[in-house]
Amino acid sequence: MSTLLENHIVELLQERNEKAISLLYDNYADTLLGVANKVVRDPELAQDVVQESFVKIWKKADSYDPKKAKLFTWLFRITRNTAIDKLRSVNTKSDKEIQIDVSDVYTLGVESIKPELMDVQEHLDRIEDKYQIVLEALFFQGMTQQEASDELEIPLGTIKSRLKIGLRELGKIYGPALIAMILNIVL
Amino acid sequence: MKDKIKIFLDSDLLEQYLLETTSELESLQVERYIAMYPEVRDTYAELQENLEIFAKLHAIEAPQDLKDKISSRIKTDRKERKRFYSYTVAASITAILFISISTFFWNQNQNLQEENSVVSNKIKLLEENMKEQLEDVRNQFIVLNNPQTKKYNVKGNQKAKDLKAVAYINPVKKLSYINVSKLPHIPESQCFQMWAEVNGKMINLGIIEEAGDQQKLLALPYAENAVGYITIEQKGGNHAPSVENIVANIAY
Repeated sequence: MSTLLENHIVELLQERNEKAISLLYDNYADTLLGVANKVVRDPELAQDVVQESFVKIWKKADSYDPKKAKLFTWLFRITRNTAIDKLRSVNTKSDKEIQIDVSDVYTLGVESIKPELMDVQEHLDRIEDKYQIVLEALFFQGMTQQEASDELEIPLGTIKSRLKIGLRELGKIYGPALIAMILNIVL
Repeated sequence: MKDKIKIFLDSDLLEQYLLETTSELESLQVERYIAMYPEVRDTYAELQENLEIFAKLHAIEAPQDLKDKISSRIKTDRKERKRFYSYTVAASITAILFISISTFFWNQNQNLQEENSVVSNKIKLLEENMKEQLEDVRNQFIVLNNPQTKKYNVKGNQKAKDLKAVAYINPVKKLSYINVSKLPHIPESQCFQMWAEVNGKMINLGIIEEAGDQQKLLALPYAENAVGYITIEQKGGNHAPSVENIVANIAY
């Protein structure tokens, strides 16, 4: 995502210009829908989450501080929290526990992946499982590190190090290829 | 210093801050580290980049109809907001109007209350005045019509030969009046003053005006063997009579 476009979107948001939402949707909705889907694991519910998140983004536009976080980080936090809340309320309603099924990590249908991102999926498949699982549990399942440690039966220290390595290595391993590809999509 | 940064980076505070799972206090600490140390700042930037990359790996094509739904919700929100603002403005105007009107009426009320108390005081004074005057007129009537009333003609002495007055004394009703019918001319700097000596005390009965008062009966305090005096005093009257200026006396 070019900083120029980010800045433009932020400006529009702060001016309360509806164009901001359109641009945000065009540039981030796919990713945010993916995030929401990873958390709630229900494509329809994920769409509700994205819808609610965008309304929140619109309403909370004033609270975004570019000095504290990148635009995407802010959008991610809102979407993630909305999704976790949604999941909790759904679970409260159906009185079910959040079940984290590790084997479910790859069950996302390939056909639901954006065709342009097929290569990305391949990249993703190549990421080491032990990092993926931890990253997903923490980023998408709304687990704390302690919860992830209990759920995945991995010591807390290992969770911490895998999160760190997984996240930092991710950029190194897939960053350049991915960025080049995303640029291709955008341009 | 290096150790401090290393310990910080080795902890998972930065990662938790990224996910907004830090406490308020922790967030402040992280923000301080980000602001102070370029190393932390760079790591945070890198984490953010990686989060975006990781999230993008899971992207799903978002349908157009979701965009339409979002747009329409935001339009509704805007309208509601506008409506809310117009309601707020309307409510504010109403409130201001109400306050102004209330203040206006309150002031009016205060003014009216003040006026009311002034008017009622005036009425009370008038009433008292009228009662006094009525009493006076009644007494005058009693004195003048009572057969037991004695009438004395009072004349001035050498100093005021033209002075003529009539005193009416009623020993039964214990009322006495004097009617000064004519006053001699005196310089403007002087005036006539009436006195009564009652039980050895000199009482000031006031200044006799030349005009207007000539037909007026002036009440005298009644006492056995009282003496009324008329003196010439400096304009404005005197506290005690100038004995040498006595121009007439009435023993009653």
